[in-house]
Amino acid sequence: MKIKVNEVELDVTPGTSVIDAVFAAGHDVPYFCSQEYMSPIGACRMCLAKIGAPRKDRATNDWILDEETGEPKIFWFPNPMATCTTQVMEGMVVDTISKDVKKAQNAMVEFTLVNHPLDCPTCDKGGACELQDRAYEYGSGESRFVFDKRHQEKHHALSELITLDRERCIHCKRCVRYFEEVPGDEVLDFIERGGHTYIGTLEDGLPSPFTGNITDICPVGALLDTTSRFRGRNWEYHHTDTTSLDDPSGAALRIDTRTGRIERIKAGLNDDVNKTWIDDGTRFGHEYADAEDRITRPMVRRDGTLVETTWADAAREIAERIAGMDGTRIGIALRGDATLEEGVAAKALADHLGSGRLDTAPRPAASVLPDGAAATLRDVATSDALFVVGDPTEEAGIVDLRIKDALKGVEPAPLFPHGPAIADLRLKERMPRKREILTICAPYRTDLMKHAGQAHVPPATSMVDLLHALAERASATVDGGTPSGAWDDALGMTAAEADALITRMRSSTRGVMIWSAFVSNDPRADEAARTFAKSVGAKTLILGPMANTAGLERISVLPSHDRYDYASMFTPETKALFLASLDPAVDPKVADRLRELDLLVVHAAFPTATSALADVVLPAVTGYEKDGTTLNVEGRLLPVRAAPVEAGTATDFTGVVKQLGEAFGTRLEGRSVKSARRVLRKLLDVDAAELPTTGQPLPPVRGKASGARAVREYARATGDALIVPSMVRVEHLDRNPHLRAERGDAALRAHPATLHAHGLTSGDVVTLPIGGIPRQLRVTASEGVPEGLWLAPTLPEQPVGLYDANLAAMVRERSATAEVA
Amino acid sequence: MSGAVADKPDTITSRHDPRFEVTLYKYVGVEGAHTLDAYLAHGGYGAAKKAFGMEPSEVVDLVKASGLRGRGGAGFPAGVKWSFMPPVDGRQRFVVCNADESEPGSCKDRYLMEDDPHQLLEGMMIAGYAIGATKGVLYIRGEYYHAYERLRDAIEEARQRGYLGENVMDSGFDFDVILHRGAGAYICGEETALMNSFEGLRANPRLKPPFPAQAGVYGLPTTINNVTTLASAVHIIEKGADWYAAMGTDDSKGIHHVQISGAVNRPGVFEVPMGITYREIIFDLAGGPKGPAKAFIPGGTSCPLFPFDDEHLDLPMEYAAVAKAGSMMGTGGLIVIPEDQCIVDAMYNVTRFYAHESCGKCTPCREGVSTWLPKMFQKLLAGLGTPEDVDLMEDMVSNLRGTAFCPLADACAWPVQTSLKYFRNEYEHLAQHGTPLHPRKDRWQS
Repeated sequence: MKIKVNEVELDVTPGTSVIDAVFAAGHDVPYFCSQEYMSPIGACRMCLAKIGAPRKDRATNDWILDEETGEPKIFWFPNPMATCTTQVMEGMVVDTISKDVKKAQNAMVEFTLVNHPLDCPTCDKGGACELQDRAYEYGSGESRFVFDKRHQEKHHALSELITLDRERCIHCKRCVRYFEEVPGDEVLDFIERGGHTYIGTLEDGLPSPFTGNITDICPVGALLDTTSRFRGRNWEYHHTDTTSLDDPSGAALRIDTRTGRIERIKAGLNDDVNKTWIDDGTRFGHEYADAEDRITRPMVRRDGTLVETTWADAAREIAERIAGMDGTRIGIALRGDATLEEGVAAKALADHLGSGRLDTAPRPAASVLPDGAAATLRDVATSDALFVVGDPTEEAGIVDLRIKDALKGVEPAPLFPHGPAIADLRLKERMPRKREILTICAPYRTDLMKHAGQAHVPPATSMVDLLHALAERASATVDGGTPSGAWDDALGMTAAEADALITRMRSSTRGVMIWSAFVSNDPRADEAARTFAKSVGAKTLILGPMANTAGLERISVLPSHDRYDYASMFTPETKALFLASLDPAVDPKVADRLRELDLLVVHAAFPTATSALADVVLPAVTGYEKDGTTLNVEGRLLPVRAAPVEAGTATDFTGVVKQLGEAFGTRLEGRSVKSARRVLRKLLDVDAAELPTTGQPLPPVRGKASGARAVREYARATGDALIVPSMVRVEHLDRNPHLRAERGDAALRAHPATLHAHGLTSGDVVTLPIGGIPRQLRVTASEGVPEGLWLAPTLPEQPVGLYDANLAAMVRERSATAEVA
Repeated sequence: MSGAVADKPDTITSRHDPRFEVTLYKYVGVEGAHTLDAYLAHGGYGAAKKAFGMEPSEVVDLVKASGLRGRGGAGFPAGVKWSFMPPVDGRQRFVVCNADESEPGSCKDRYLMEDDPHQLLEGMMIAGYAIGATKGVLYIRGEYYHAYERLRDAIEEARQRGYLGENVMDSGFDFDVILHRGAGAYICGEETALMNSFEGLRANPRLKPPFPAQAGVYGLPTTINNVTTLASAVHIIEKGADWYAAMGTDDSKGIHHVQISGAVNRPGVFEVPMGITYREIIFDLAGGPKGPAKAFIPGGTSCPLFPFDDEHLDLPMEYAAVAKAGSMMGTGGLIVIPEDQCIVDAMYNVTRFYAHESCGKCTPCREGVSTWLPKMFQKLLAGLGTPEDVDLMEDMVSNLRGTAFCPLADACAWPVQTSLKYFRNEYEHLAQHGTPLHPRKDRWQS
C-alpha cells in the first residue's frame, strides 16, 4: 500500500509497522524498546511521530475529500503516535521532522535521562551506546532536571557472567521480553513500580543457557558482560565478523579484540541462521584463547625434554624422521572443528605421504550429511511438525532457538533495506506457543522438553529399537497399510502416540526431523531415522558432533578405507601420527600406545596429556584465529575470519603443511588458505574468499554422501554411563574461569536415588573411569536422569554415546561436606 | 435553575422531573437487600429470564438501542462493544466486570456491590448470555473488602440455588462468576492491565490492538464492562430500551451516578438522569458549596478541572458538552474545590497519587509523572521555586500530555495543566513569595 513519510512516497506491505516504513523511506526515528526479532511494546515512547490517514465515508465507501484541494482529506491522530506499535494504513502520512514531533522526541530524551546517571566516561557502553547516540541526535543538550537522581545498585551480579547497573537502566524491557520470547525461560522481570521499578530475578542467577544475548540488546550500559567489564573502550576494539566454530550451527560472531587479546564476543547478525542470538557457551567460552599457558613456539624433544625451536627446525626434524617410512603407517587426524582449508591441507599432506590413514574426530559412525531433502534452519523455524531425537540445546544452541521460533508460528519477516524488521507487529508479548507441533525423544530429560507437546525418555539402551520400531510403523502405513505391531514393545510410547506422531509428520508439508550423534553413532539407528523421515516425507537436519564435521565429510577428509579410521591410529600398525587439536592420551591405554610410536607430532594450542608425549609439538591457533570456511548444520558455507590474537608463531593446519612442504622440498596444495581455496573451488564450485558474512547455501549432494564408514565398534547399545553433549566445552573449562563459575564443573549427573545407592551426595568430586577414560566430575543430582544411569559431558576424545562406568574404581576426591567445612 | 435547557423537553434531564425514578440505587441502603431472597422478592433475576427468552443478538441490539454508554469513564457505547465479539468458535469467552473502582472521587460501584450484589451478578449474566460467555470474571478492588464479602456470599448463594453454575434457572445456559480481588493498584482499572493482573502477571497495560474482544483474558475473546454499565443492562432488559433512552440527551442517554465530594454541604452518590446541569447537582442535590468555591472537577481527578463559574455550572452533564468545554465526564466523581484551598497544594496531592500509582512501563509516566513532577511540586511548596520553575512545569506537563502508553499520564497532566491555565497566579505567588496565596488550614474545623 502507498504511504508518505516526510514527502517520501513509498510502497509497503500491509502489516508493516510505521517505524519500519520510516526507516525504509530513508528517514530516522529514535527508539529504545523495539528490538529486531522481538515484540514491539511501545514503552520507551521515543519513536513518536505525527501520523494521519484518510478516511472512507461509511455510507458511500469513498474517500472523504478535502474541500479545498479535492485530495483525500488527512485526519491526523490527536496525539503523537508510537511508530513501533502503529500499523501502516492506505494513504497514511507520517511526519517525523516537524517542530511538534521534534519537541515530543526531545521531551522523551529528557524524560529518559531524568534518572540516568550519565556516567558515560566510566561506562563500558560509552561510544557504542544507543542512549548516548540518541541523546546527542535528539536531545536538547542540557538538563532541566535539578534534583537527585535515583540511587540503586551499580554492580549487581545477575549471574557470574552478567553484571547489572540498575541506575543506568532505562526500563526498555528488552531483556525481560527477550527471556520470555526467545529462549522461553522467564528468569527476569520488573520489580516494584513507577519510578522505583527495577530489573531483578526472583531467585539468584539466570538459569537459562542463552543469557548473554541481553548484554547485546541492552541499549545502555546496564547489562554488561562480566568477562569484558572495564577491559577497554569501544573505539579501541578491533572487530572481527566471523562464524562460530563452537558448534555446528554456524552462528555469526563479532569478536572484539584489543592489544592481541579477545576481550569479548558478541552475536553477529545472520537472519537465516542465528538472527542476533548466540548461546552462552559460544559467547563466554573464549577466555581460554588468552590463557597464560598457550603454546606459542614449536618444540622438539631433545634428550627426553621438549625444547623450543623454530618452525623450520621442527619441520626438518619431522621430514627426517618420516623419510622412508611406509606411508600407510602414518596417520593424520584433525578435530571436527577444523576449517575446510585445513581439511584440504591435511588431505594434501596425506596424499604426499601416501597415507590413507586420514580422519577427523569425533566422527560418528554414520554420515552426518542428509541424503534426502535437507532442512535449513529457516525450515525448522517455519515448520509445523517437528520431531527431535537428541538434545539440540546442548549440541547446537541456535537450533534450539529456531525450534522455539517455530512454536510461535510466525513466519520470519522478509528483510528491509535497513535489515530485519525493527517492529514486527505479528510478534506479541507472551504469545501462545504451539507446543503440540514438537515431539522430542532423548534418553534423559532435556531442557527443550519443557517446551514440547510430547516428550519421551526411553532407556538409553533402546534408542535404536525405538527408531527402528517407529520406522517400521511409518513404512507400513505409507499407503494406508496396517502396522504389524511386532515392534510395538520397543516404541517407548503407546502405539496411539506413535501413530499420532506419524500422522502429524506425514500430513504436514513442512515437517522436519532433527537428530544428532545419539542416532548417528549407530548406523542401524541412523538407517532407521532416515527411513522414518523418508516415509513421512520430512526434511532432515542432522547435528554433527563438531562445528565442521559435515563439511570435512563433504570434502572427504576421510580414511581411504574403513580400516584406516581414527581408532586404527592407536593400533601397532601405525608408526607415526599427526594429531591436530586432539588429546587422545586422556585414555591411559591410548597413552601407552602413543609412547610406542616412532614419531608423534602434535599440533596444539595448549599443553595436553598428548603433547607431553609428543616428539614434536607445533603451536596451533584456536577457532577464533583462523581464516577459513566452515559448513554448518544446514549445509551453508560460512566464512571464518581471524581475530588478531597474540599467539606467537601459532598457525592453523595449512601453516603446518606449508612448513612441512618446504622441508619435503615440494609445494603442497593447501600450503596456505589461498592455495586450499583453489582446491575448494574445484571441489565445491564456490569461491570461499568471496563468501559474504552471512554465508551461502551449498547445494546438497545427491545420493549417499560418502561411502566411508568406520569399522570401529558401533556405539554401544549397552552401558550404564551416557556421554551427553555439552554447550560448555569441558576440555576448555579450566581456562574459562567466568564460565566455570557460572555453569559449574563438569558434572556427573544421576538420579538422587542412584546417588543415594552409591553413597554419593551432590557436590562430591569424584574420578570415575568411563569407557576407560578417568573423568574428574562433580556429582549433581538430577531428577531428569533415569535411575541407574550416569551422565557426563562429552570430550572430543569421548563422543556422545553409551559407555561402561567402572563404579568399582570410582574415587571420591573431595566430598561436598568437607568443602563446606 | 435551567441554565442549559435540554434540547428536547420531552426527555428527562432533571432530578426534579417527576417521571424520574431511582432505579439502580433503589435498594442501596435498604437493610437486608443484599440477600438473594430480598432480591427475588422484588422481581430479581426476572430480567435474566426475559433475556434467555430472546436471541443473544436481540439482547445486544436492545442495549445498543438504549444508548447505554460505558460508565467506567470512557463512555464507549456498551452495545457496540458487545457486538465486537468474534463469532462463536468453540473457544472459552469471558465477560469481565471491572470493579476496580479506584478513581479518586468515585464510589458509585462500591455501594451497588455492597447493598445489591445480585443486581450486578444478573447484569453479568445478561451480558454473558448476549456475547456467548459462560464465564464471568469479577475483578474487585482489593480495598473493597466489605463489597467482596457481600459478593462472595451472593455468588455462593446464587450457585446453591441454581442462579449460577450449569444450566442457570433451567435455561440451558451455563454461567459462573470468578471473583478476584486486586491488590491495590490504580492501573488495574485500565482494562488490559486488569486482565494481566487477573492472569497473575505484572499489571502493565497491554498493547491495543488486539482489543479484548479479539484477545482478552488468557488471549481469549473477552468483553469488559464497568459495574454500573452491567447493572444498567438489567433494567434495560426489564423496562425496555425506550425507557432508558427517554432519559438524557441525544448524545448521552440514560442514568448516571454522580459522586460529589469536596466542600459541599451534602456529599454523596446521587442517581441522576443524563443531561442534568452541574448547577443542579451542586446546588440542589449536594446542598451547595460550603463557602466560596473556585473550581470543580467534573469526573474524578483524572479530568481537567473547570472554574466554578456560570458558564461551566450550566453545562449539561453529557459526554459531548463536557468534552467540548475541555474536560471529561469520566466516572462522574465530582469534586468541588473551595476558594481558600491552595490549588498548588491540591494538585500536589493529586500528583502524588499518580506518582505512586504509575506502573513504570513507559518513559514519560515513570520519569515525568512518577519522578520529576512531584519533585517540582515539592520544590515549589517548600518555597524554593522560581518563576522559571512554573514555566518548566507547564512545559513538562504539556510534554506528558498524549505521549504516554496509557491514559494514566494524561490523567495526571490534565488537572495540573488546567490548574495552571486557570490559577497560574497561585503558582506564581508561591514562586515569588515562597508562601502560598491560601495558607493551608485544617478543613475539619471549618
